[in-house]
Amino acid sequence: MFFHIVLERNMQLHPRYFGRNLRENLVSKLMKDVEGTCSGRHGFVVAVTGIENIGKGLIRDGTGFVTFPVKYQCVVFRPFKGEILEAVVTMVNKMGFFAEAGPVQIFVSNHLIPDDMEFQSGDMPNYTTSDGSVKIQKDSEVRLKIIGTRVDATEIFCIGTIKDDFLGVINDPATV
Amino acid sequence: MADDDYDDMDMGYEDEPPEPEIEEGAEEDLENNKNDELTGDPLEADDKEEEQPVQRPRKTSKYMTKYERARILGTRALQISMNAPVMVELEGETDPLEIAMKELRERKIPFTIRRYLPDGSYEDWGVDELIVEDSWKRQVGGD
Repeated sequence: MFFHIVLERNMQLHPRYFGRNLRENLVSKLMKDVEGTCSGRHGFVVAVTGIENIGKGLIRDGTGFVTFPVKYQCVVFRPFKGEILEAVVTMVNKMGFFAEAGPVQIFVSNHLIPDDMEFQSGDMPNYTTSDGSVKIQKDSEVRLKIIGTRVDATEIFCIGTIKDDFLGVINDPATV
Repeated sequence: MADDDYDDMDMGYEDEPPEPEIEEGAEEDLENNKNDELTGDPLEADDKEEEQPVQRPRKTSKYMTKYERARILGTRALQISMNAPVMVELEGETDPLEIAMKELRERKIPFTIRRYLPDGSYEDWGVDELIVEDSWKRQVGGD
């Protein structure tokens, strides 16, 4: 799920960025630093959308750097248990398959793939129904439900299932 | 009596402070706080408009102490040596400390001094407000 929230961060700014463009430099450094990062608590920071306020700087002794507390608005993406997501399959093996929804890796075990789908090995490993009408292979788009998340300090990993109503392949590149 | 004691204990339990939440950058904060404790009076950058209203009239000296002067010159010289934009016109000076001294003489150093008092409160003085009156002329070599 996506959220638009306000976060705060202490930014260390090198003296070479002082002067009239200090704020602009601070904001561009903030974007470079936080966009694409992941915190276990808030999820992935997708984009910084605005600056709420920049606090008073504090000069760090010995380094000459200045620390600014910056409050910024950003869009974060955090997967939740029970959430339905659409994802692209990246790898298929006999244990199941991996899919990606943006920055999040999701693993779908073969226990959580409908029983009528069988693993087919070969140069393009895939899961296929017995009549061959549905096929999950690399680059397929699937709709899946997240049943478990592992949240580390800097990484989020999910376990998904497609063994439920309305889940499964939504667009198969081989048939298009 | 025993009941009262029990109630008290219960109350105490309810008053337990909530667990601190660990957020991103908490480690950085900790480190910063440690630094703050080590350094007596942190200098402050004055690059933005003053937001806090001036409360009571300030009561510390309007003269800059030699310790403040030393720290300001040292910090500013360090920043200049790290390519910080110089706030004054240069006339061939290249030594960062010399440039810092010139900035101080022209009151162009963009710092605020936060003077901590023994009770933990503080007063903010802009470097441009303080009177620098000591032997620096001799050290710079006359002006």
